[in-house]
Amino acid sequence: MSADSATHDDHTPSLWDWKRWVYSTNHKDIGTMYLIFAIFAGVIGGAMSGMIRLELAEPGLQVFNDSFKLFGMLEMGDSHNYNVMVTMHGLIMIFFMVMPAMIGGFGNWFVPLQIGAPDMAFPRMNNISFWLLPAAFGLAFMSMFVGGPAGGEGFGGGWVLYPPLSGLTGHPGPAMDLLILSLHLAGISSILGAINFITTIFNMRAPGMTMHKMPLFVWSILVTVFLLLLSLPVLAGALTMLLTDRNFGTSFFEPAGGGDPIMFQHLFWFFGHPEVYILILPGFGIISHIVSTFSKKPVFGYLGMAYAMVSIGVIGFLVWAHHMYTVGMPVDLKAYFVAATMVIAVPTGIKIFSWIATMWGGSITYRTPMMWAIGFIFLFTVGGVTGVVLANAGVDAALHDTYYVVAHFHYVLSLGAVFAIFAGWYFWFEKIFGVKYNSLLARLQFLFFFVGANVIFFPQHFLGLNGMQRRVPDYADGFANWNEISSWGYAIMGVGMIIFFLILIEAMMSRRKGEANPWGEGATTLEWTLSSPPPFHQFSTLPKIK
Amino acid sequence: MPLSLDKNTRVALFAGAGAVTMVGAAFAAVPLYDIFCKITGYGGTTQVAVGEAGQVLDREMTILFDANTNGGLGWDFAPIQRSMTVNVGESALGYFRATNTSDRAVTGIASYNVTPYKAATYFSKLECFCFTEQTLQPGESVDMPVLFFVDPLIDEEDRMDDVHAITLSYTFFETEATVSSDDTAAP
Repeated sequence: MSADSATHDDHTPSLWDWKRWVYSTNHKDIGTMYLIFAIFAGVIGGAMSGMIRLELAEPGLQVFNDSFKLFGMLEMGDSHNYNVMVTMHGLIMIFFMVMPAMIGGFGNWFVPLQIGAPDMAFPRMNNISFWLLPAAFGLAFMSMFVGGPAGGEGFGGGWVLYPPLSGLTGHPGPAMDLLILSLHLAGISSILGAINFITTIFNMRAPGMTMHKMPLFVWSILVTVFLLLLSLPVLAGALTMLLTDRNFGTSFFEPAGGGDPIMFQHLFWFFGHPEVYILILPGFGIISHIVSTFSKKPVFGYLGMAYAMVSIGVIGFLVWAHHMYTVGMPVDLKAYFVAATMVIAVPTGIKIFSWIATMWGGSITYRTPMMWAIGFIFLFTVGGVTGVVLANAGVDAALHDTYYVVAHFHYVLSLGAVFAIFAGWYFWFEKIFGVKYNSLLARLQFLFFFVGANVIFFPQHFLGLNGMQRRVPDYADGFANWNEISSWGYAIMGVGMIIFFLILIEAMMSRRKGEANPWGEGATTLEWTLSSPPPFHQFSTLPKIK
Repeated sequence: MPLSLDKNTRVALFAGAGAVTMVGAAFAAVPLYDIFCKITGYGGTTQVAVGEAGQVLDREMTILFDANTNGGLGWDFAPIQRSMTVNVGESALGYFRATNTSDRAVTGIASYNVTPYKAATYFSKLECFCFTEQTLQPGESVDMPVLFFVDPLIDEEDRMDDVHAITLSYTFFETEATVSSDDTAAP
């Protein structure tokens, strides 16, 4: 393989040739662009959550009022702008941070490498998948600065986009139309990406790699892209209906014309629930690799792990209405959705216990990615447990739209998905960039993230149980203490983010040459057989899998 | 000709067709949702009957009436009788009074449901003002009838044994036609 790479390295275009990136058809270059885009969007989305935590640090309206100026210059406006921040934070983190990082970034980089393929099946389609994203992001960002509701700018109706708030009644201005267009573009990008991954995984596996020998990360991406392929078009349909309701006088969601706003919620969550699995499943794959690598054992129950993800994907399509228990459902229907939702805890439990069983009796080394992975397992389990609590329709009636829900989904996403992304980042950093990072700093970042994220979100369980509502910039004085602590947690996590960038700069400056396989005998997948970074074109002779 | 497609194109086409089908499924949800509500009485959707029940039972049922208007309609809308007691299977007539208090002609249509939801499939309307649009001139007041019966089949279902009262609720909305002036007359 190394003799091969020497000849191919000559073809590698210069890092500074803009055509290499803009016209790129190389899965590794596109993956890198996805990762950089995700960092960029994550910083913006993270800054927005900073505004949110700043406002919520004390009761009353300190930030989102007429007189406050951030850094002495940025006017933050009124409570509506707070809601715009909440909305955009959610949309950006989901569509422009987690999805690009997990699927576009790590998926593009490592699906072809792990199945022994030279590239993706449709390299040019891969290019358009990526370049639609900045366009989509631009539209979403623009929407914050054009008319939304009467007398305000931007869309403040939450990432769920429920009508009538997202209809002409709530937001007559063009902000919502821009947002719809943005999500259409992001959706097309993801659907094209999904088609590409499905074709690659089905047709381009190296000789001997059967479906049941595929690395778990590839399995996780395969399930994820199937969810994307089947759920995103439903969102596209619902958004199109919303668009025609707004602009062409249809009444899909207008009761006056015979429509029903509840139908939007059904369509949205038929997409939205698979979407939350889309955000976490690739993380499951990453964690499986890391746990097995650093326990120096093959993953416990490989087939069970693969089919647990498949069944999570399938059941994920059958539970959507647990997001809308309070719309006035018949009790029998609630009973079904409660039961179906709880069933998901079974395959998820299989995964958690299999990770623990993989570690059991293993020769564990606590390298940086392993710390993130164990952090993930612990925090994801906490989020999963509160999920089972919320699955009960009766309990949910009290907790719906409170901070308990916010705490729950941030435990599985902000602490689950994001920790999985960082685990993957430090697992594959050397492979992607060909240089080593400073592991002491990376552990320090983990420490700040682990403490910070828990300090932010654990108190929100208490706030929610006491009835503090989501999406409201002000709150009763009784909630002040836990909110202040939560905001301090943000500052701790912010220090972690600064360390993250220091790690990047330090690695860039010191340029310690990366090894082909820094993790030793535990790292068994195909990407570790290549140099770090891998040659620009790999596997021109296909590897044989025994 | 299609047999000459290479295997990558074939998988991509299948996947693309899957995505397109799901867009179709999203739009198909509109009529399906409608049919689903009518068949199951989901959300309290009532039944439309063509003939009388033909059988009157001993069991009594209290019917409560409720009326609302959507914001900006400019009507006073209220039931004339708060409640009535009917025998199951007996056809009964209820009245609602609507008065246009605004200074323009307004066309409205009423949406409706019953609670408890599980009783919806047994609540049948023979005739209702809610089946058509209603136009009220400024200051005009109209009494609007609904002719209904409670289906005797309700007595055969065990889980309906605890249903002694059914609330019939209407909400009047202004139709799109009058919102965008009166260029098209509704049929």
